[in-house]
Amino acid sequence: MNKDSQMRAAINQKLIEMGERERLKELLRTKLVECGWKDQMKAHCKDVIREKGLEHVTVEDLVTEVTPKGRALVPDSVKKELLQRIRAFLAQHATL
Amino acid sequence: IGLACDRGYNPDAVAAMSPAGCPHVSSFKVDNWKQNLRVIYQCFVWSGSAETRKRKAKSCICHMCGAHLNRLHSCLYCVFFACFAKKHIHEHAKSKRHNLAIDLLYGGIYCFMCQDYIYDKDMEQIAKEEQRKAWKMQGMPHYTALVISPRQHSTGEKYSTWEPTKRELELLRHNPKRRRITSNCTIGLRGLINLGNTCFMNCIVQALTHTPLLRDFFLSDRHKCEMQSNSCLVCEMSQLFQEFYSGHRSPHIPFRLLHLVWTHARHLAGYEQQDAHEFLIAALDVLHRHCKDDNGKKANNPNHCNCIIDQIFTGGLQSDVTCQVCHGVSTTIDPFWDISLDLPGSSTPFWPLSPGGDGSALNGESHATGATTLTDCLRRFTRPEHLGSSAKIKCSGCHSYQESTKQLTMKKLPIVACFHLKRFEHSAKLRRKITTYVSFPLELDMTPFMASSKESRMNGQYQLAVDPFNNDNKYSLFAVVNHQGTLESGHYTTFIRQHKDQWFKCDDAIITKASIKDVLDSEG
Repeated sequence: MNKDSQMRAAINQKLIEMGERERLKELLRTKLVECGWKDQMKAHCKDVIREKGLEHVTVEDLVTEVTPKGRALVPDSVKKELLQRIRAFLAQHATL
Repeated sequence: IGLACDRGYNPDAVAAMSPAGCPHVSSFKVDNWKQNLRVIYQCFVWSGSAETRKRKAKSCICHMCGAHLNRLHSCLYCVFFACFAKKHIHEHAKSKRHNLAIDLLYGGIYCFMCQDYIYDKDMEQIAKEEQRKAWKMQGMPHYTALVISPRQHSTGEKYSTWEPTKRELELLRHNPKRRRITSNCTIGLRGLINLGNTCFMNCIVQALTHTPLLRDFFLSDRHKCEMQSNSCLVCEMSQLFQEFYSGHRSPHIPFRLLHLVWTHARHLAGYEQQDAHEFLIAALDVLHRHCKDDNGKKANNPNHCNCIIDQIFTGGLQSDVTCQVCHGVSTTIDPFWDISLDLPGSSTPFWPLSPGGDGSALNGESHATGATTLTDCLRRFTRPEHLGSSAKIKCSGCHSYQESTKQLTMKKLPIVACFHLKRFEHSAKLRRKITTYVSFPLELDMTPFMASSKESRMNGQYQLAVDPFNNDNKYSLFAVVNHQGTLESGHYTTFIRQHKDQWFKCDDAIITKASIKDVLDSEG
């Protein structure tokens, strides 16, 4: 593992330990609902299901089709806010 | 999609999949499988306690590549964590013939034989229970405020999507009529006939029926009446909501409501014009009293019950009296339903002169720079007031009567804040209406007026760290009650907000569309 992924793993561990990861997840969830992202993704999922056929579609199909669009559609403001929160958290728990 | 989506739950696919999951779970459901599954959820999926979180943080990495991302799954048959995205868990499943794995992020169960996530009713039940348990443990009252609308929800219960019970499905099938709420539908809007100077009641009723939390409470039928007689005002309120959301467009005649108000608040009886603010307080009081009778939870403090009125409207006002000699502070906190603000031009002292000069009415249409704002009024309300030599307070520190200053601040904010501008002056000398225009905002931040902010200032933190993401003290305007005319003969109307950004003017039986400008230009 290179230094970058080591750092990531360490940060991730700290976030989980302090329960911050759950809180961030909740914050993200709310933000994505508020900005309409969830509705957009829901509509897209429905399209994929219709395309593949209800009887045959698997979760994998959805994940593959929907993930790139999902990632692209996250508004910059949401990314910024999450980043700010993580920075603030790290500043507080600087022992990393 | 919310929680349902998180667990890979596709509501449309339920019809295709049997609720019993897939045939391959049967080999898993042996011995003490339920308890084992619970442990996996508690330790590695929804870690509620600090201990489990620590364990999760340390052990949840892929046994093959060490990554913690890539949709980690745990084998259900042995202790093995591996990435899904890189197919590491697939390799394990194949080589060990362990056909089931659980998604550590969302808790979904994957069957390698069926090559998809499966939904076994028993396992789903366990998953849901463990999730709820973990949430409760985490508490997080500060953050749950972000998720659910009642801000000060003390139980810490998170929002979960509604799944109908058998009984509810039955009811839905027997009552096929559905109402579709589109963005331009007028449901919830209804005029109220004036029964003879009853606009003071109508205007408040309009504001109450458009208070979202109150509306939700009544429309979800949460009032269980235990009053013997037919005189329960809460029941009548419930009925009123039914009328408002019935879809009828003709104005409603609130004669029963009026009668009940006369019965329970005799000071408001009679056909003369009454004060709308007095009606609001009287109505909240009666509703609170009638709710108390049916409060399912045992109210441990009889003075502060947990009825819907208290939950929504009650705030805490802190009064600090500081002795000028020993600087000892005596603090009391009183509950309040509204904040009554003095206006410039009133005969109460210490009001700084507005550019209007002698306090004569500023034309409601003009926006003179320097027009009094709501925050000006709040600032005045929360400023330290020297009580004067004629009003000395007995100081427990000095053991004698001393001069003191008094200051009011907000200790606890209500979910719905009612601001009352004291336009009607009833002093010994005169009775008049103060028509000074007071401008008010669409969004209001009460942080500067909080007791906690005052403490920060006193501790030397003059620059309050303004957290733009903290919405705890922020309010959105949703109703404005206006009075036109004089003290002797006047008329009340209300602006209310519908569907986030549409405003309507309610003038007794007549409802018209209004612009935000109309609302903000109004006297207030």
